[in-house]
Order: sequence, then C-alpha cells, then structure tokens
Amino acid sequence: MRKGKKVLGGSQNAFAYKLLGPSLILLVVLIGYPMIYNIVISFQSVPINPKMDATFLGVENYVSVLTDPSFYHSVGTTLVFTALVVAVSTVMGLAVALLMNRTFAGKKLVNSIIIISYVVPSVCLIFVWRYMFNNIYGIINYFIVDLFHFTDEVPLWFDKPVSAFILVGIFAVWKFYPYAYMAFTAILQSIDKSLYEAAKIDGASKWEQFKAVTYPALKPTLVTVISLRTIWVFYIYAEVYLLTKQVDVLGVYLYDMAFASQNFGKAAAISIILFAVIFSFIMLLRKKVLKVEKD
Amino acid sequence: MKRTNKKLIKNIGFYALVFLLVAVLMFPIIIMISVAVKSTAETIGFPPTIIPKTLTFEHFQDVFNVSIFPFVKYLGNSAYIAVVVAILAVLLGILGGYALSRLDFKGKIVINEVFFLVYMFSGILLIVPLYRLMASIGLRNSREAVIICMIIQTMPTAIYMIRSYFDTIPKELEEAGRVDGLSRMGIIFRIIVPLSVSGLISVFVYAFMIAWNDVLFASIFIDSPDLMTIPIGLNSLFNTPDYIWGRMMAASLITSLPVVIMYGFSQYLIKGGSTDGGVKG
Repeated sequence: MRKGKKVLGGSQNAFAYKLLGPSLILLVVLIGYPMIYNIVISFQSVPINPKMDATFLGVENYVSVLTDPSFYHSVGTTLVFTALVVAVSTVMGLAVALLMNRTFAGKKLVNSIIIISYVVPSVCLIFVWRYMFNNIYGIINYFIVDLFHFTDEVPLWFDKPVSAFILVGIFAVWKFYPYAYMAFTAILQSIDKSLYEAAKIDGASKWEQFKAVTYPALKPTLVTVISLRTIWVFYIYAEVYLLTKQVDVLGVYLYDMAFASQNFGKAAAISIILFAVIFSFIMLLRKKVLKVEKD
Repeated sequence: MKRTNKKLIKNIGFYALVFLLVAVLMFPIIIMISVAVKSTAETIGFPPTIIPKTLTFEHFQDVFNVSIFPFVKYLGNSAYIAVVVAILAVLLGILGGYALSRLDFKGKIVINEVFFLVYMFSGILLIVPLYRLMASIGLRNSREAVIICMIIQTMPTAIYMIRSYFDTIPKELEEAGRVDGLSRMGIIFRIIVPLSVSGLISVFVYAFMIAWNDVLFASIFIDSPDLMTIPIGLNSLFNTPDYIWGRMMAASLITSLPVVIMYGFSQYLIKGGSTDGGVKG
C-alpha cells in the first residue's frame, strides 16, 4: 500500500482537489464570500428595497451597536444564560451517565427515553412547553398554584423576563443535556473495570475512586463538551425565539435587528462583533484544550 | 443477611431514582401524546388531565385533512428539503471524506481546520449576507435557498464522520480493486462505499435531522405558506383560529416519528453492524 501511494504520488494532489472541489466551492461561495460581504455591509446603510444601492456609512453601525444599551443587556443575558445552561446541562449529563453506568433490567429502554429530548425536533417540544406552561390551563401552573400551593400568584411564564428566562433555561438544559450524557457514557464504558477493583483493594472510597479513575478518563471529553456547548449556546436562536419574546439573547437580538427592524448594516456589525468574540474564544481554546486532528 | 438487605435497599433506591428521572424527562412527551388523543374541550379544561377522559383520533384525521389543515403541505416541503440535503451531504461526504482519509495533498491541514471552524460556527452570523446573496440570485422565498444553506451547515460534519468511517476500512481492499483495473472513482464507489453503508446511513440521518429541524434558514428565506416547512409552518399558525392544541400535538408526534425512527435505526446499525462485509473495524 505504501508502494501504491508512492507511485500515485504527484497525482494525489489533483485527485484530492477534484474530490474536495464541490465542498470547497460551496465553502468559498457560501461562507467565504458572505463573510467578506458581511464586513462590507457592516460599513453601509442598506435600503430595504434590494434594487436600491447601499450607501457608505463608515463606522456608524459599529458606534450604533456599541452605544446601544439593549446590546449590552443582550450580552449580559447571553453570558448568564450560557453559563447556567452549560453548567447545569453538563452536570446533569454527567450525573445521569454515572447513575446509568451499571447493568440493570430495562437499561436499553431507559437509555432511549433519556435521550428523547435530543432526538425529537425542538419545535415539537416547544409546542408542548407552550401548552404545559400556559397561563390559564397549563398543567405546570396547576401543580405550582393549585396542587402544591407554592405561590398564590400565577406565574406568567412567557410574558415576564425573569420567568421567561427560567423557562427557556430549563428547556435548553432538557434539550441539550443528552449530548453530554452520550459523550460521558461512551467514555465511562471504555474505562477498564479492573482499575476500580484495584482502587477498591487499596481501600479507596467511591469518591476517591471517582477522583482517581473516572475523572482523569473523563476530563478531555468534559472539556470538549463544555467548550462546544458554550459556543453553541452562545448564539442560540431558534429555541429561544419560538418560546418567548422576552429573552433577548444575542441570536435573537441579531435576528430582530436584521429582519424585524430591517437594519441590515447594524445587524452585520453585530455579527462581525460576535464573530470576533467567538473566534477569539475558539483560538484561546485551541491553544489550551481543543485538539484539531492533524495528519 | 444484613448485607443482602442493604443491597436490596440500595437497589430499590436506584430503581426509584431511575423511575423518577424517566418520569420527569418523559413528562412533556406524555403530555404531547395525551393532548393529541383527547377532545379539544378537555385540552383547555381545568383542572388539566394527564390521562384523557375520552379518547379520540379526530386530531390525527384533521391533521391529514388538507381542506382544514395545511400540515400535509408542510410535511411535503420538509421532506423535500431534508431528503435533498441528506443525499447531497452524503455525496459530498463520500468525496471529501475519501480525500481526507486516504490522500496526501497540499493544504490538507488547512482544509481540516477550516472544516473544523465551520463546524463550530453557526449560520446565524451570516444571515444578512446570505439573505442578500440569495435575493440577488433570485432564490428569495424558495426551498432551494434553505437547501443550499443546510448543505453548507451539514457538510463539514458529514465529511468528518465519513472520513473516520473510511479510516476503518483496510487499504488492502483498494489494492485488490486496482488490480482488477478499477479507476480511482470506481474504487471509491464500487469498493469503499458498499463497505460503508451503515456509516453512510448515520450521516444521512444526521443531515436529515438537521434539515428537518431547521428553523433559522426556513424563517429567513420562506414567506409564502405554500413553501413553508413544518417548524415554521406550524409556528405561523400560533394565534390563528387553526391553532388547536390537539392538532398541534398530533402534528408534532407525526413530525417526530421519522427522526426518532431513523435515529434509532442508525444507532442500531452503529452498535450492531459496524463490521459488516467481513471487514475488521
């Protein structure tokens, strides 16, 4: 096989680019070009009518974003939201993975139920949430107010910023924790059981076993899960937007700026800023933790 | 004796915990099913019920009745978009995956990193230029605009998944093909692809799910109700007289069904048959 490679040697380049050609063209046309175009738009005032020409504005869009209090509010909301959702969904994924890390009757069934929120389309889950948390006949408020009397005041889940934030947060945790669960489960299954036996003989408690055996094995996956989920939750859009209009995460702020306010220039400026933030975050991570496969 | 008791209690505790977990996590799904099969009066009645007092399949009939509910139209649009995206993602994945798995070429490292970056970024950062781009080539309000954007969204992962699947196929098999006089494309499609069916199916399922669930691009590019996909179509009915909970839940169940089945099937293939064709994984 090594010989074959040698013989083909020079023509491998051409063949590789023939194979990758369609993908690379798509990348250039749909990612590369739009990225540059985005920068151009961010310096322009773009009329709603596509037939009319855009006019050069300079840095005005950036000034407008960076002096907009709702931008900072949105940044704050997004940071808190991301931190909470990533932390809770990761811990929950880990806890469930540890709980399930044994053999028992019905494990397969339980396992598929545990990841169901990850598989079922978000929009379907969101319809149920809107129903369950309905102000008037929702079952959640029935539990909270009528059955267990936690509060007398009916929480208006979708209409108040704080309760809407909690609502979207719980939804996101429920939707995303299976990702962490699946990643951790795969690692837990690969840990050699004899390591635990050895630790037990040495008199290690459960917690000490976790620290000595489980945690070191999990750590790389833990870091990857946290990093990727942080990036993804940071620009979450669909789930929030479909559930409530009260939680102004950056994805929603950006979308509304483009398609509700029709301010393309400012929206482009927002996405450039976000891009810079996420890109530096990724570069920072790459140096420290994320391994890009190189061969 | 004491020891077995302790073990028993531990076991009971474990099962109780698992049951509680399953109950909480499944609760919304149970409500979804319950609302889909109860009468409209009961869905908005108080106190709410979990187990329906009366069973009805009227919502399922209504959902498929084109004259009163547009679900079938949405279903067709979603299926069209998701199937085309999935097929093209698999095709691009085969070509790109093969190049990254088997060939040495200039710029491989750069291409790897670019794909990795695209994988981590979201389309939302490019909505403005993509919208303008699609508008300028006449693809506004079209399903094709969504397809194009979903392909770029799924392609990097498709290439990665297929590449790592190809990595498990022994290179000696290609030699055999070469001896038989197959062209290089012939080797890919006659030898490698047939040995990778289960891997390719999981990529198909992955891309299908991403496209089937998409909200962002569909809501940007599609305005007319005739072209709407399930997520934005059903969502657009909110606050209209058509928004009947039973129908929404019935439609949600039907929408979930294909992806749940496909996902289950692909998991089964990964676990059960990754060594198909007698090739060592």
